[in-house]
Amino acid sequence: MAWTQEEELKLRQVIKDSGVNLLKKNLVQGTWGNTAVRLDEDHMLVTPTGLDYISLTPEDMPIVQISDPSIWEKGKKPTSERKIHAAVMGARPEINATIHSHPVYCSILASCRIELPVMSKEMEKLVGGSARVGKYGLPGTKPLKKGTVAAMEGRNACFMANHGVFCAGRDMDEAFKIIEIMEQCSYEYIKQKTLEATGQQTYSDELLFDYFVSKYSK
Amino acid sequence: MDRFVQTVIEYAKNISNENLCGQNDCISFRGKRGYMYITRPNVNFADLTENDVEKIDLVNANSNEYKLHAQIYTEREDINAICHVHPKWVAPVAKAGVTIPTVLDDMAQIVGPKCKTAQNTIEDIVKNLKGVNSCLIKDDGCITSGRTMSEAFTCIMVLDKASHCFVSSAVIGKNITIPFIEAKLMQIIYKKKYSKVNQENLAAQEEGEEE
Repeated sequence: MAWTQEEELKLRQVIKDSGVNLLKKNLVQGTWGNTAVRLDEDHMLVTPTGLDYISLTPEDMPIVQISDPSIWEKGKKPTSERKIHAAVMGARPEINATIHSHPVYCSILASCRIELPVMSKEMEKLVGGSARVGKYGLPGTKPLKKGTVAAMEGRNACFMANHGVFCAGRDMDEAFKIIEIMEQCSYEYIKQKTLEATGQQTYSDELLFDYFVSKYSK
Repeated sequence: MDRFVQTVIEYAKNISNENLCGQNDCISFRGKRGYMYITRPNVNFADLTENDVEKIDLVNANSNEYKLHAQIYTEREDINAICHVHPKWVAPVAKAGVTIPTVLDDMAQIVGPKCKTAQNTIEDIVKNLKGVNSCLIKDDGCITSGRTMSEAFTCIMVLDKASHCFVSSAVIGKNITIPFIEAKLMQIIYKKKYSKVNQENLAAQEEGEEE
């Protein structure tokens, strides 16, 4: 294991803070979502399964082997989505931090399975192009992992069909910038498409309500 | 304070903090020996106190709202907590009176493969809750339920997000849903495997000892 105890303690705190920040920035609900941070070429710290981000402690984070994520030690039982974090980190040595979550506007596009075009220069820079949608797979399964890894090729973010979003950065700060720009650009895209559909000039939630009710009421 | 009352107050505040309240929200928790603990009509969830929670005998519920909760507890022994709330994104779907298909994995796991809109009568609501833990009510928000208050609360968050996805996707013209079999499978796995231990631990915490 090629890291010092001091580095491990620092990264444990990084991953603890990442969960709290997801909650604070309204990028996750409850105990869902998970994050990972690289310790060395074959090890990462991940968030445990099913525990709330506030009461989690840095010591709760398990260390997972990237080349074989079924192997883990220390901390609590790791998230079942660790295989996706491991696959992305394994394939991309420059990636040191990953976030998987279900923010609202990303979830809408994930449920529509719409590829998000480049919406801004910042998105181009951070995501590396459009955000594709990975093929659908049940949570924790190989098809979901394969679909996500394929959609991440040459990109730092992708949607997971009917599920959420996956983001990868050189560090946790960058991974956060990526998930934030994904949520912001998803919102802008939905707003644009809603105005096109309704033929209105100004977007509001009420516009969406009224249009939906008028079009879909039984 | 009675642990049951404390739990009702705690979750009413959680519902308020997550902006999942509307008008005439009402939540309840099954007590022991045929009672339920339920919020009084027209109370503010953010400032709920002990005086805003009533202990009601299930067989003597005297208002329509109390009767609705009592009837659900009577018909469904597996349900220990009920939330009748009016979150923002549920409103247009309840108004349109349509069914939300499985738009997201977390909806499949926690709400179920679909969420129907019931007519606003006790009979139709109970009927639409058969085999599931939530339904929408025509022009009147939604009912979520659970083995614990935590489960019913989580269900509101997931249902509101699923409603938002459904409404937005429908307007921008593309709703792709998860196949029923896969959605059902996820619900069963979640309920039996992943959440069983958590729910048992939570139930012990939420119920404590009745005074």
